Amino acid sequence: MSGMTGRATGGGMRRRRQGVSIAAYAIAVVALFASLFPLYWLFYISTKPPREAFETPPQLIYVPDFSKYVSIWNTTDFGQAFFNSIVVVASGVLLALLVATPAAYAMTMFRLRRVRWIKLWLLVAYMSPEFLFAIPMYVLYQQLGLFDTAIGLAIVYQVFALPFAVWLMQSFFAEVPRELADASRIDGASHWGTLRRVYLPLAAPGLAATAILIGIAMWNEVTIALSLTFDQGRTVQIAVAGFRGYAAIRWQEMAAAAVTAVVPMIVFAGIAQRYIVKGLTFGAVK
Amino acid sequence: MTPTTASIAGAPAAGRARLRGERRWTFVIPLLAVLGVTSVYPTVYSIYMSFFDWDWGHRFNFIGIDNYTTLLTSERFWNAMINTAVFTVGAVGVELLLGLGVALVVNRLGFGAGIVRTLLLVPLMVSGIVTAIIWKIMMDPTLGIIDYVLRTLGLPTPAFLGDPSTALASMVLIDTWWQTAFVFIVLSAGLRALPVEPFEAAEVDGAGAFARFRYVTLPLLRPIILTVLMFRTIDCMKVFAIIFGTTGGGPLTSTESIQILAYRAAFKTQQMSMSMTMMVVFSALIFVIVALYMRVGEREAVQ
Repeated sequence: MSGMTGRATGGGMRRRRQGVSIAAYAIAVVALFASLFPLYWLFYISTKPPREAFETPPQLIYVPDFSKYVSIWNTTDFGQAFFNSIVVVASGVLLALLVATPAAYAMTMFRLRRVRWIKLWLLVAYMSPEFLFAIPMYVLYQQLGLFDTAIGLAIVYQVFALPFAVWLMQSFFAEVPRELADASRIDGASHWGTLRRVYLPLAAPGLAATAILIGIAMWNEVTIALSLTFDQGRTVQIAVAGFRGYAAIRWQEMAAAAVTAVVPMIVFAGIAQRYIVKGLTFGAVK
Repeated sequence: MTPTTASIAGAPAAGRARLRGERRWTFVIPLLAVLGVTSVYPTVYSIYMSFFDWDWGHRFNFIGIDNYTTLLTSERFWNAMINTAVFTVGAVGVELLLGLGVALVVNRLGFGAGIVRTLLLVPLMVSGIVTAIIWKIMMDPTLGIIDYVLRTLGLPTPAFLGDPSTALASMVLIDTWWQTAFVFIVLSAGLRALPVEPFEAAEVDGAGAFARFRYVTLPLLRPIILTVLMFRTIDCMKVFAIIFGTTGGGPLTSTESIQILAYRAAFKTQQMSMSMTMMVVFSALIFVIVALYMRVGEREAVQ
């Protein structure tokens, strides 16, 4: 930021800078409108009285009708799918953290041989197209009885969750002063002890942010969930898509279900706000 | 991979060091095990099955490379390849320009930059299927708000997702709404992390705003831009949810991407081995592109 704004001197320059600044705010407002209006519109459609949802011109002042937000829980299996998603996210995040944390510690602390290959493998796994593993896992899960289960989904989600979690945890661990680890080692603590008593407490906010970001990715996942669930194990995203139905699309219920699926994620993102940039840049930028 | 031998190879043969080396690997063994099941097994299985003719039933014959020749001569496959390529180039290009532009602008804001940055991130928290639903509602040719606004303004009202000639472009628009924030936030963070000195030097030398951008900002930002481009390119090539939720690949096959075609082949027409063959070919292409990006990045890092 500091570099982009020149140090202007003289009245003419200042006036021009003011003009630039007004234009910048105007552009920011347009960008905000473009980003947020579609979500407002989803909410608008979901809360209009049925007959008025698609009337033109749209009546933007209205008494919101939240009945769809109740009926989606009563009349469909949306509740089951919502619960499934909670199970998938909870177990998937737990598994990812249990596996990724020691690995990230090892990659920060030890000079492991072939660590380059592990890093490359993480990148390859993360970049793989979903159906490369979704189709074989579909075949395998049919035999193992894991098809259409939340746990089966949580396991497959590790393909994208683990690389992400390792990258992110590594960047948080790298910020822990090395002297603390050395002191702990000299005191006779094992590496597991050092991880638990020095690194985890210091990187706790990072651990929480990692959990939230992986959780959001799992909650929002569509492609794998579509392939590996059918009925009992359906996730919230698949249930939302299910409102398209065979005969007619139930627009308003679908919009209400979609809003219900989005709002918790925006809340969680708000909680992890400080770390989201770090998460989205895979820890590369602070 | 043989972890224990790998870690002690070349190390002094002292028993203690060896024990330690083995214990060190226990930190990464869970990672290797889980990724082995979820990533290596399916890849190997897909490659193996690509040499068989299997329809998810009793038909199971070794056919050599027939799946590959059938695939590479299939018009439907190349149609999906071209759709995927056009979508990727279009979406990545638009998102890069918009994301960079907005990042430059927002970084000039004094008051309110933080809240603007936060609010612009919101679309990233929306799933692909919800994104698809939002735009399906807004782009509807008769009920949609976009059609209404265009009609009111006296502008042409395209059918968007309903017309083979505009459907793929509409998909680019949808992805732009959804993912530009990723480009924006990474480049925005990159811009703020740039050193101040080169800009001051350029200003002393009398460089104007454009020259500073062209000769200072862009070169300094290049490594981050490359990384963003790589992630966006691969992500766009894998496009599935926003198409699945809007057109399902239609009208006709105008928005059928590779992953949509693989989904149809596996789960709608039971061509199991053919869909796996397609994923093997497509994954190979993805890894070539990743390798190219990394090659360019490394070469520049050396210079």
